[in-house]
Amino acid sequence: MMINQLLLVFIVLVGAPIVGGLLFGIDRKITARMQGRYGPPIVQPFYDFFKLLGKQHIAVSKMQFVWIYGYLVFMIASLIFLVLKSDFLLLVFLLGFAAVSLVLGGFSTKSPYAHFGANRELMQIMAYEPILLLLAIGIYAQNGSFLISEIFKHDKPLLFTLWPLFLAVLYVLTIKMRKSPFDIATSHHGHQEVVKGVTTEYSGPYFALFHLAEWYEIILLLGIIALFWTNPLWVGILIALAAFIIELFIDNIAARLTVSWMVRLSWSVGLILGIANIAYIYFTKGVS
Amino acid sequence: MADSMMAIAILLPVVAGFLILAVRNYFARGAVVILTALILIANSIYFTLKGPFTYTPGGFNWGLLITILDYGILIFYLYIGISLRNWLVLIFALTQIIPLAYFEFVMKAHIEVTPAFVIDNLSIVMTLVISIIGSLICIYAIRYMYDHEHHLHLEKSKQSRFLFWLVLFLGAMNGLVFANNLVWLYFFWEVTTLCCYQLISHDRTELAIKNAARALWMNATGGTAFILAIIYLYATQGGANALSMQTIIGGGLQGTLVLLPVALMCYTGCTKAAQMPFQSWLLGAMVAPTPVSALLHSSTMVKAGVYLVVRLAPAFAGTYLSIAIAMVGAFTFFGTSALAISQTTGKRVLAYSTIANLGLIIACAGINTPLSIAAAIMLIIFHAISKGLLFLCAGTIEHQIWSREIEDMEGLAVKAPLTTLITAVGILSMFLPPFGMLLGKWIALEAAYIVPLAAVFFVLASTLTIVFWTKWLGRLLQVLPKLGWPIERLSPSYAVPLWTLLIGIFVIGIGIGPIYQNFLLAATNNVISGNQIISLGLNNLVLTTPSFLQREILGVFPVWPLYLILIVALLLPFLMIGLKPTELRPVYMCGEQAGGGAPDTDEWFAEADTVTKCQLGGYYYQNIFGEKRVCPWANAIAILLLVIMIGGVIVL
Amino acid sequence: MGLIQKSRVKSPWILHFDNSSCNGCDIEVLACLTPLYDVERFGMVNMGNPKHADILLITGPVNRRTARVLKNLYEQVPDPKVVVCVGTCGATGGVFHNCYNVLGGVDKVIPVDVYVPGCSVRPEAIIDGVVMALQKLASMR
Repeated sequence: MMINQLLLVFIVLVGAPIVGGLLFGIDRKITARMQGRYGPPIVQPFYDFFKLLGKQHIAVSKMQFVWIYGYLVFMIASLIFLVLKSDFLLLVFLLGFAAVSLVLGGFSTKSPYAHFGANRELMQIMAYEPILLLLAIGIYAQNGSFLISEIFKHDKPLLFTLWPLFLAVLYVLTIKMRKSPFDIATSHHGHQEVVKGVTTEYSGPYFALFHLAEWYEIILLLGIIALFWTNPLWVGILIALAAFIIELFIDNIAARLTVSWMVRLSWSVGLILGIANIAYIYFTKGVS
Repeated sequence: MADSMMAIAILLPVVAGFLILAVRNYFARGAVVILTALILIANSIYFTLKGPFTYTPGGFNWGLLITILDYGILIFYLYIGISLRNWLVLIFALTQIIPLAYFEFVMKAHIEVTPAFVIDNLSIVMTLVISIIGSLICIYAIRYMYDHEHHLHLEKSKQSRFLFWLVLFLGAMNGLVFANNLVWLYFFWEVTTLCCYQLISHDRTELAIKNAARALWMNATGGTAFILAIIYLYATQGGANALSMQTIIGGGLQGTLVLLPVALMCYTGCTKAAQMPFQSWLLGAMVAPTPVSALLHSSTMVKAGVYLVVRLAPAFAGTYLSIAIAMVGAFTFFGTSALAISQTTGKRVLAYSTIANLGLIIACAGINTPLSIAAAIMLIIFHAISKGLLFLCAGTIEHQIWSREIEDMEGLAVKAPLTTLITAVGILSMFLPPFGMLLGKWIALEAAYIVPLAAVFFVLASTLTIVFWTKWLGRLLQVLPKLGWPIERLSPSYAVPLWTLLIGIFVIGIGIGPIYQNFLLAATNNVISGNQIISLGLNNLVLTTPSFLQREILGVFPVWPLYLILIVALLLPFLMIGLKPTELRPVYMCGEQAGGGAPDTDEWFAEADTVTKCQLGGYYYQNIFGEKRVCPWANAIAILLLVIMIGGVIVL
Repeated sequence: MGLIQKSRVKSPWILHFDNSSCNGCDIEVLACLTPLYDVERFGMVNMGNPKHADILLITGPVNRRTARVLKNLYEQVPDPKVVVCVGTCGATGGVFHNCYNVLGGVDKVIPVDVYVPGCSVRPEAIIDGVVMALQKLASMR
């Protein structure tokens, strides 16, 4: 049992960044095609990563390294929790620690742009965290347990009963993937947001670590979406990839919104969807 | 043996207090405090080793003494109300003294209750918290008050008086958590209120006296409710045996409306714990010197309020009152977390966070399952340590930069790296895995679905707590590119409590599995029987459903692997990565930096090439989370919830 | 070529800085990003941040004020880096070379690797110049 799990963790640790990087490459290619261009090759993110590794090691403060490592390691820890089918609520809290590490990395230097970016990232956390926590409670309400392994034991997919929360999670995906209209704290290639927001003062190898963490993050998020249909799992993965493509469309047709709109929409529409969903399950199923 | 243990716990602080008043020398006074602290800590460990027992003191008419002191305290409140022309203090002193006199003289109440003190596992947990953390804070106060008076250039030293009330308070708290006789519990409760008044008004400024009076009348409403509960119990249950806490929680009450005195006593607990709408007294108490805030208003006195609610939990288990209490606590958790975002003073953020966590504990008591009660007890312990540490840090920072404002703490990492490190770990320990506070909150969330609206408030409040803690930590860490920060020297009176509490966070956090199984489980079972937390393997905490036939797993928290991840994520990079001076670069200010190429400059060329300092400020969102915006509707909802809580008991 | 050197060629990130140009060359630089010329297919991205950049794309002549700014930005770009000077103004001062506050071309302040002449430079020439700079970047340590 333990060997199997260790092997699975190892495969995920090595494979997830590769798949994540390819996903980002596909992202840039499809975006370019939508804009009538050719776009970079699909393996472009890996070229970016290795180029950054080869840059000179410069920094603004020693604490930057601590926080970017915190971001990376806690992101990997959350992914391992997902893969080992452990406690979903704890996964959300670990993801929260990763996000807080990134914010603190932005705050750790007296740079105006990093300061704005860190604050906007903090507002992003405030926008999406309630929805993820409500998802955890929704999973408990439906299954009677917070464990991800329990989701796999039930035949009926979560999507049937938790579809309002699924819509809210798509909203979270837009924020976490840093796609318009919510690419507010920092943005990926081609966009600029207050220079580079949270990652302004990072460079070279440590910026490469940021990209690595993003690749783990996209696999984690798509994995969370795949949880909505686990029997059979390939349907869930297809749904996750479909959500990814939808995000690309939304990115290219929407303009950036302000921070206050992001939080306002999340705390109104997102919360109503989540609370209504849980209330419905509570009143129809009761407490198990 | 029991005689001397109880005497040390309750009476030694009184004797030590008077000794401190008599001693005028700074070092001798410090020695008395340290000696008292060590004896109290040893005594509390002895309580742990001895285990539960009951005790009734003999050989002296203690009841008469307590009654006389009760009236003394209440007459003192009357005097304060009259001398300050504060009608609220006067009214609520009268509403206590008149029913008390009625109880004493008209009802001719016989208040012999045996046993007078019941020391069970929950009380032992509380006395450990009081003795250890309280003693550390008293040690901190020795040097703190010296620096405080030095800074204010006082001619006549008031340190003896301050330390007297601080140490006396420890004795009163010990008596409170041991008391079984409700009248004696009321007496200890009033002593803590008195200490609170004296300590808040210590500096004798107009603001301090005003805030102390506010604390006094708000707590006095709680005292009134307590007296009314006592009278109701005596009158309807026919005699003094109803005035025993064990009888109340053991289901020994008969008749209709048995929940009314319980609801009144829970109201008393809520006022002491500064739940909404009473949060303003705790906020006002922040003007007092930091040891007061650390001891009374985070670790200990406000814990008396939640202790009372947790202790009463069996009495209202499974009733409508339980849900109402859960809603009061959950809404306070949410409302005060929102208010904390807008605060610009460090201590006010800590105060709102304290009230929020107390709301969480009360909500856990209201949810009333073995899991949530275990969460409540764990939260009591972890919150006392972490919040006590944070208040002591706030005091240390205040004595380094002579300001309490968060904006003045910007870049503290350069000026005071050691204090910043301790504060940073303290802040992270309040809301992030794998620390104990998050463990308690995680257990509470996993238990909360039984009262689903409470679960929703927990979710919202959790999100808001992330915002204000990260914001504050960010301000502390914001430094210019510079290497080689000199480490500051802290006096031992500051350093010993800070380091002890910091190590305590890790020791108790890492060892929570065995600590729960061998110790906290027994305390939980004093309130509700059943065990839903199993500790397996590498200190993995597994939460299960309460059914005996088929234990289903609710959730898993692998404690040691998470601490390992924490070390790999933060500690290893901190220790192992270095930065050479040639690798240092300035921050990006569009190239407009002044300073001739040195990286550690924050000045830049503004319009007309004038040199300006770059100013960054924190975000406080006063127009959304400010007190003026939130308090009107939040206080209204809180009052409504309290009315529903007490009124519903009468109506339903 | 080693993996890192190949990656440097395949992923050049640009910092575009305008000294005091008439903006003609800047418009042409931005035109490169449009779908007609699409430099992103070579992996070129316009970063606004010197700490993320490999190639400094500089337009316009250097004057007293921007000399200081240019030096600051150049120091913030981590090695290995190349400087591409776009337009005749960047090379020699161009039409502004006699003005009282103009110090001359960019090479008065920082070392330049590639000069792209033109006024204003055509996008094809800019791409050509950047590709030449990439070859130089590939041969760096």
